[in-house]
Amino acid sequence: MSAIEASAQSRVEHRAAAAVHPPIFRLAGVTKRFGGVTAVEAVDFDLRRGEVHALVGENGAGKSTLVKLVGGLYVPDEGRVEVGGEVVQFSSPRDSEAAGIAMIPQELDLFLELSAAENLFVGRRRPRRPWGALDWRRMEARAREQLGALGVEFDVEAPVERLSMANRQIMLIAKALMGDAAAVVMDEPTSSLTEREAARLFRIIDELTARGVGVVYISHRLGEVFMVADRITVLRDGQHVRTAPASELDSEEVVRLMVGRSLDERFSRGGHEAGDVALEVRGLTRTGEFEDIDLTVRHGEVVGIAGLIGAGRTELAQTIFGVRAAERGEVLVDGEPVELDSPAAAMEAGIGYVPEERQSQGLVLPFTIAANISLSILGRLSRLGFVASQRERETADGFAEQLAIRGARVSEPVSRLSGGNQQKVVLAKSLAGGPQVLLLDEPTRGVDVGAKSEIYRLIDRLASEGRAIVLISSELEEVLSMADRVLVMREGRVSAELSREEATQERVIAAATGVAVGEDEGAEGAAPAASVDTER
Amino acid sequence: MSGVDALRSVGLRTAPTTRGLRRWLLRPEAPAAVFLVVLLAAFSLAADRFLSPDNLESILVQVAVLGIIALAVNQVILAGEIDISVGSMLGLCAVAVGTVATATGGLLAPLAAGVATGVLTGAVNGLLVTLGRIPSIIVTLGMLYALRGVILLLTGGTWITQIPDETRVLGLAKLAGVSLPVFVMFALFLIVNAVSRNSTWGRDVFAVGGNRRAARLAGLAIDRTRLLAFALVGAFVGIAATIYVGRAGSVQTNAGEGLELQVIAAVVIGGTSIAGGRGSALAPVIGAVLIGVILNGMILVGVPGVWQSAVLGALILLAVTTDALRRRLVGGAA
Amino acid sequence: MSANQLRALDVLKGVRFTRELVLLCLLIVLVVVLGQMSPVFFTVGNLLNTSRFFVEVGLIALGMTLIIITGGIDLSVGAAMALVAVTVGLAHQSGVPMALALVLGLAVGLAAGLFNGLMITRLDLHPLVVTLGTFALFRGIALGVSGGGAVSSFPQWFEYFGQFYLGPVPGQLFVFIAAVTAVWLLLSRTPFGRYVYAIGNNEEAARFSGVPVRRVKVVLYTGIGVLVSMAAVIYTSRVSTSRADFGAGLELDVISAVVLGGASIYGGSGTIAGTVLGVVIIATLRNGLSLAGVETTWQVFLLGVLLIAAVFVNEFFRRREE
Repeated sequence: MSAIEASAQSRVEHRAAAAVHPPIFRLAGVTKRFGGVTAVEAVDFDLRRGEVHALVGENGAGKSTLVKLVGGLYVPDEGRVEVGGEVVQFSSPRDSEAAGIAMIPQELDLFLELSAAENLFVGRRRPRRPWGALDWRRMEARAREQLGALGVEFDVEAPVERLSMANRQIMLIAKALMGDAAAVVMDEPTSSLTEREAARLFRIIDELTARGVGVVYISHRLGEVFMVADRITVLRDGQHVRTAPASELDSEEVVRLMVGRSLDERFSRGGHEAGDVALEVRGLTRTGEFEDIDLTVRHGEVVGIAGLIGAGRTELAQTIFGVRAAERGEVLVDGEPVELDSPAAAMEAGIGYVPEERQSQGLVLPFTIAANISLSILGRLSRLGFVASQRERETADGFAEQLAIRGARVSEPVSRLSGGNQQKVVLAKSLAGGPQVLLLDEPTRGVDVGAKSEIYRLIDRLASEGRAIVLISSELEEVLSMADRVLVMREGRVSAELSREEATQERVIAAATGVAVGEDEGAEGAAPAASVDTER
Repeated sequence: MSGVDALRSVGLRTAPTTRGLRRWLLRPEAPAAVFLVVLLAAFSLAADRFLSPDNLESILVQVAVLGIIALAVNQVILAGEIDISVGSMLGLCAVAVGTVATATGGLLAPLAAGVATGVLTGAVNGLLVTLGRIPSIIVTLGMLYALRGVILLLTGGTWITQIPDETRVLGLAKLAGVSLPVFVMFALFLIVNAVSRNSTWGRDVFAVGGNRRAARLAGLAIDRTRLLAFALVGAFVGIAATIYVGRAGSVQTNAGEGLELQVIAAVVIGGTSIAGGRGSALAPVIGAVLIGVILNGMILVGVPGVWQSAVLGALILLAVTTDALRRRLVGGAA
Repeated sequence: MSANQLRALDVLKGVRFTRELVLLCLLIVLVVVLGQMSPVFFTVGNLLNTSRFFVEVGLIALGMTLIIITGGIDLSVGAAMALVAVTVGLAHQSGVPMALALVLGLAVGLAAGLFNGLMITRLDLHPLVVTLGTFALFRGIALGVSGGGAVSSFPQWFEYFGQFYLGPVPGQLFVFIAAVTAVWLLLSRTPFGRYVYAIGNNEEAARFSGVPVRRVKVVLYTGIGVLVSMAAVIYTSRVSTSRADFGAGLELDVISAVVLGGASIYGGSGTIAGTVLGVVIIATLRNGLSLAGVETTWQVFLLGVLLIAAVFVNEFFRRREE
């Protein structure tokens, strides 16, 4: 029996015990909004003693927000948080830690220069010698003890920066245990681990649950989820879809729950002929981010790139745009290879990019709308070296009209605009240089419905004008309705390429998560069992 | 079966512990220490008298004041701040020491006056940075000049002379052939080293300078940590001022001018990262000794003293460049 | 949003209305007070003469304004000034024709600034630390090369250059006005100026917009090197001497002037008009205090306090606005 199967077995044993005790914490009807966007709405979620409760959903389903509500980073707008049956109000992560809830985020925030033993004790009461000095020997001994209890050993005296990601994670788990955590929340814990390290993690999770500690396991790797979880909760669009014991579900069902959505609101695009190849990417590689990417986009075509967070889509786009340097591979625009060593060079080659983070990457907030739009083409708007304000204003006015930017005059600061209008400004800026290839990274994130459809119309128009468009989006609906072709990326590689007809929600999610889902439309015979994709 | 054996039986490797020589070579002060040894060897070949006990002792005495102040400024830099007002602080504390010394004589009273003045000034720096939320470079740049005015106010422009012999003990006396200042420097080093490694404040300094965000989330007392560091600088400057006055025998109005540069150089050259969070109490001492050796060696080899500042500047640039390159190599690697 | 904030965010115009007005009032008050302290102060002759003194600080402050707007700083300007002065003096002393000596000085100043710029951009080092190092390095080279000595025997025409009048107005004032106009135009009307503000407000977004961030920074530090050269030449001419201890404490005057003029030490804002007013206020303060017999050390004391206070006030109001 392999280590993995052994852990699966002990799952069964713990589940029985878990059902009897009161929950460690419970979120009751919590709602959290950010500006005009509702991240989670009236969601119920609880964690029982000794159980592993998996939380799954697409990007933007609300998983992170939900756990941050119990982690003290956010305060719910509605609903309540209960720990051990009592209603609590967390005002900081420290409060939630004190209540026994430990968070292990995807991006670990550590003191790299300090030793593992020291990281375990930061902010805590440390063992001391009789004369008041810190007792390192005891600290290190306790650290080793905690690690040993998890069945792990590594150098607790060396600076953490020398530990592997896997060991750093385990260190945080040990820290949680030391603080007598009743619950440990793990966000995408295996994303940087090898298969062996993942197996070791599962054994540690067993250790935790054996002691009655509850684990919230957020992951998009459904194979793993079914290995470790006792219960599974599916979120979709900020709402609770279903919570059930893992035994009552299977991967296909979970996938359907994750994506199942009425399809009647689809944006319909006019069909048009695609022209010659505008952008060609061959074997583009950046170790650790994406590998061997081939991509072609024709004039008039919209290619959607779907995938989960961390699949490497943004990194790919930024590399094509010259923000990051490619290690291998080449990019050709209209058949000509181009040197993309800076955004300016990319723009010169006719590539435009709308960044993922509107405020931190796309806009200079204190600048006016006009100044933001013109930033990338100031040279063209200048006469004799001076910026021609008249032309700048006219250009901005032109874009404001074309893109229906509303809420302020172009001479006013862009910070005044709503999210949707701000996004239009970023779009205007990238269009200003007249690019033939446009890379759009989550162009409708945090944008209201009205502005969304305006942006869709714009994309359609741009394509019909002959531009080549790459649309990176975590919103399946968006990708499926806008794209002529869909590329799905998973862990840095292209895992599927689907034509508009072939692309269905199930297929895309399956390719994005690595879970093979059977054909359910008129298929004969049994649907194949969900297989775990363990290749790395 | 222990956890380790269980793991090994499944074929999983356990991480090796870094011990012995390798661990020592990875410490922040290692490059500086190695450089020091190399220089000592080089200079001793160039000039016979270099490695004589007398010469070595005189090097240490010359850098004692520098080393003592650098020990404290090191803590400020580790905490992610900077202090370039220490030269003017020295002048001010020297005035306090000299004034009390000529008034009452003795050693303890002037020493106490110096330390008190220093702590007060350091606290002002610290409060402006923490409560005033003014960047430490601005605060200490302004204080560098402002304190000169205070010195003028107190002295009226005249030197303080005729410091009584008892006061000068700390600067001039010898114990077993080694000057007292050297003992003081090493004693303070031992104290700071112990505090840095074994006290909550000492560890918090590393956390606050290494990852301020995480430190805040962990609930560490960031403001108090920094304030104490600035106050410590003041205290050590007070002690150093007493030694300085003892050795000089008088207090000039421009005492301490240009010292801040040497102090920063000592800290940075010794291996403490200017970015904060990385270094040790040993770094400023090695750095100070290194500077002493370089300046002394320069004289012995015949390089005119006017080039001192250039050498210091070059060393600072070299040290930060090395640190930046090291960060680039290590950064992000797991 | 208050009128103050509205204006504060308008980058197309170079003047932050309220702040400059406050500074102007401050200047007037200062002039009146100093006039009381010393009868000589409030004469046209003296006021015009004051301008002679602030040209050196002013020229460098123009460059420092742009650097501070991008969130950087340059502590080595005083030392670089000494380096240029020493270059000019020694070149002349070794028989090089004066005009060529001046060109050499200019080249040295430019090279010094370029050195700073490259260290900062290529090695991703913080400007503070780099310029602290070059602060020592440049001063050291100046001292070493000159041996601490001075050069005084400059040709007549050169000395005249620094001391001439056009009518009642000192000659340098014209140089300064020309420089102010040029830098003001650069900052408020050219793409380069926009890039400076963009980098200071959101360097990442600027990069994503195709702004050549590295190149801009290198130009800024090299540019201030050129301004330092100009200031060094003017000063050397004015005092008819070249020494290695020139420019001691210059960075205090320059940074204080820029901050007083309203620039945030964290970057993102600042105007030439504000800096000019800051320079004038500081120079007036210095001049008036000198005439009243106040020692240099006290002037410097006031400047130190002024620097801390100015940054405090700036940031206090900035935080309130948010």
